[in-house]
Amino acid sequence: MDCTRIKGKIIGGSFNKVIIRQKQEENIQLGELLVSCKEKILLQVYDLIYASQLSQQNLELISGMQLEKNAEIDFFEQELRNYTLAFAKNLVQLQDNKIALCKELPIFFSDVREITKDDFLMMKNPEKALRIGKLRSGNKVIDLDIVLDGEKTFSEHILIASSTGKGKSNLTSCLLYDCIDKEYCGILILDPHDEYYGRNKLGLKNHSLKEKVHYYTPYNPPAGAYSLRIHITTLKPSHFNGVILWSDAQKEAIYSYYKKYKEKWIEALLLSKNEENENNDYHDMTLAVVRRKLMQILDLRIKDNLVFSNSIFDMDNGKTTVAEVCNQLEKSSKVIIDTSLFSSKVEILLGSLFTTEIFSRYKRYKIDGILDTKPVISIVIEEAPRVLGKEIVQLGNIFSTIAREGRKFKVGLLAITQIPSQIPREILANMNTKIILGIEMASERQAIIESSAQDLTDDNRTIASLDKGEAIISSTFLKFATPVKIPFFDDIIKQKRLDFYSNTTTSSNSDNDIIIKRQFGGVKNSMDNYDNKTKSI
Amino acid sequence: MKFAHISDVHIGSWRDSKMRDISTNVFVKTVDMCIEMQVDFILISGDLFNTSLPTIDKLKIVVEKLQEVKKKGIAVYVIAGSHDFSPSGKTMLDVLESAELFVNVVKGFVKEEKLYLSFTIDKKTGAKITGMLGKKGMLDRYYYQALSLDELEKEDGFKIFMFHTAITEFKPNEFELMDSMPLSYFPKGFNYYAGGHVHYIFQSNQKEYGLFAYTGALFPNNFRELEKYKCGGFYIYEDNAITYKPVMLYDVVSLEFDCEDKTVEEIHSIVLQDLNKNDFKNKIVTLRFCGNLLHGKASDIDFRIIFQQLYEKGAYFIMKNITKLTSKDFISVITDIGNNRNIEENIIEENIGNLSNPFFDGEEKRTTLSLLQSLSAEKLEGERSVDFDERIKKDALTVLPQRLKERI
Repeated sequence: MDCTRIKGKIIGGSFNKVIIRQKQEENIQLGELLVSCKEKILLQVYDLIYASQLSQQNLELISGMQLEKNAEIDFFEQELRNYTLAFAKNLVQLQDNKIALCKELPIFFSDVREITKDDFLMMKNPEKALRIGKLRSGNKVIDLDIVLDGEKTFSEHILIASSTGKGKSNLTSCLLYDCIDKEYCGILILDPHDEYYGRNKLGLKNHSLKEKVHYYTPYNPPAGAYSLRIHITTLKPSHFNGVILWSDAQKEAIYSYYKKYKEKWIEALLLSKNEENENNDYHDMTLAVVRRKLMQILDLRIKDNLVFSNSIFDMDNGKTTVAEVCNQLEKSSKVIIDTSLFSSKVEILLGSLFTTEIFSRYKRYKIDGILDTKPVISIVIEEAPRVLGKEIVQLGNIFSTIAREGRKFKVGLLAITQIPSQIPREILANMNTKIILGIEMASERQAIIESSAQDLTDDNRTIASLDKGEAIISSTFLKFATPVKIPFFDDIIKQKRLDFYSNTTTSSNSDNDIIIKRQFGGVKNSMDNYDNKTKSI
Repeated sequence: MKFAHISDVHIGSWRDSKMRDISTNVFVKTVDMCIEMQVDFILISGDLFNTSLPTIDKLKIVVEKLQEVKKKGIAVYVIAGSHDFSPSGKTMLDVLESAELFVNVVKGFVKEEKLYLSFTIDKKTGAKITGMLGKKGMLDRYYYQALSLDELEKEDGFKIFMFHTAITEFKPNEFELMDSMPLSYFPKGFNYYAGGHVHYIFQSNQKEYGLFAYTGALFPNNFRELEKYKCGGFYIYEDNAITYKPVMLYDVVSLEFDCEDKTVEEIHSIVLQDLNKNDFKNKIVTLRFCGNLLHGKASDIDFRIIFQQLYEKGAYFIMKNITKLTSKDFISVITDIGNNRNIEENIIEENIGNLSNPFFDGEEKRTTLSLLQSLSAEKLEGERSVDFDERIKKDALTVLPQRLKERI
């Protein structure tokens, strides 16, 4: 690489504070990636200041004369006297065959140039790729995909943190869309805003492999979607952990009923089957409170000693819904559960139900020695502090268990939040990949910086200045905290469509392309209804 | 309006001729019951026959019965099921329809990749009937995906939708692994949805849709169904309500023996004691043995004597099941015959290492299973043989380890 596009010269500083004098006609941006020409050390700018050969007193005087006296004074050889200094930190050394952590300073007074795609030719994408976005240098987007090892990344949890309106949903949609055709992962999406399927807009349903996307919704499912129904017998007491705050006595009572009546424990409890309490082990008030809490959250009612449901918790249907979802996840499908119509508690209960079951299955697979044959499972949870908040975690629930132990069983979380500071530091530290979008609140930035895989101490200002769609990825699977540009989701879909149509026209005769024209054998040809004639037998 | 809803008759199923005859005779009895109950018409929701080309002797009986109902003025409406549908079009259902013995209601046309179904109107009652055929391997899924729902939903009158598939939302636990279709693929606003394919008895009134019903098989189709249901049956619809009518030709006695920690001699003694307690005259007897034997193996149990004694007591037919019987001396390859995948997995596990093929890189089980799966793909409709051949080869090659691929 010749150093044609020189942007500045290293003139001093220390390892984490390399000072670069900016070339006059060039423009160095905050967050920009620069390369030292000789050793190919990658530097990232984290601060910019003005500098001048003139003293501050003289500068103040000259500015005063221009402003107050309208004096026509100009700098003599301005490009030599006034300039910008950039402060950069050493990131890595770009060697011929690898990227190495940097342990030396670039040569003093060496030139730095802008980064190009060719600087990363040695990088090989992992087999199980998870594409996040394009490499970004300041505002400039480099045509280089930033790709992580998807299997490891998902199993070791991902955190997406950002303020409102900085592109969390867009990023999540892009990630999920990219994963639809990936056999290495199954993803469960608990969708409180019903935004990922794209019921009335572009969404995951628009993928060419839409049969890998399964959508469960309680309201008017579009053709091909499932109506979300959970048979009451599929609920277990453990599913309510972190959802309902039981007293010790209440907890003992429900577990006792579960032990005795197995899957019919809720019905038995609600219908006051008192055999369990024949020794008056539980106070009637205790059972009454348990009943009231269960009936409230499950929206059940009792009439003529029968339990009726007004909600998705069904007395007749949905016996295999949980198993079906788990089976689909195991087949690397992406399963969206529309929870937009539910209260927060019901939403968490549903999340707990599906998550507990898939986690139990994967634990068994590990014992059976077949875990390696299964895809990694990722569970997408929006507003993550609702299930991973400091107080909730103390009480214990399945999500905090997965945050701690999930990676051993190939089950990970993809937690999305605006307030990472609400998540205990121990759990944040367990999330080995953090995708940081713009965060305005200093306390939230601090929580992320303190728990990141790379040292982001100097990036506080950069994070605050991230614009919509701009992100920094800090991950144990990357050598340095990498700035990326997230594409706009709608653009991806439009581009894929264009690619699809151009490919099908150009390669339809190719040997590898088997185009199957759908035929509907077995349907007798008849247009009776549509000719306003009807056929009577 | 009064009609009968039958499904999954599976005429010609069962390997044994005695059992095979029962499934045919049950159909004959069912039609007789329908005539006696003076139904307006009969619906058969798929799998009337167990294959698309049934044997002549069975066909003769069915044809005679269908002629009889026709003479009585009772129309019969059918759809093809996963067993009696033929992608090549060579199915006996077409012949019977040409002979005007029944009407296949799966009619319509395709326009711009959308499938528009037409209604067949029952002359006597004015009921409007349409439906969707069932196909093996859920190949009917794309029919549903292409189905235009609006026109079907807009049609007024008493409407019946016949189908032959499992619906995800209704599946019972035992059919968890069965491929199924979401309810949302079905048109809304029908009075009756006559289901087939899933062998279980079920009815449910669905908001915005209507009354869904599965009759289950008209006669149990395997050992487990005999044990669980004892007999099959059908629904009679009358005055907006349905009633299940069981059809029983022979009683079924099911005996289960817990063999845990017992010797073969002890089992003999227990079984023979039980045989003395029960009446088996003219009954179908199912014997299930489960548990882990203390000594010996399953084949040491003298089933010949047990069967002989049962036949002497007048049993009509006897069946045994030892899939859950294991031995401490000898762990035989016993699998749940209901699940092909399990059988394959177990057999592969049993034989791992015997291949000693260095190209498998220690991935024998996974590779073999994947290979089996890719080789079991069926030819798609409209797919040319040469394309199918290419697709199979391509899919099979992708699952092989790199070293083996290079060798090939």
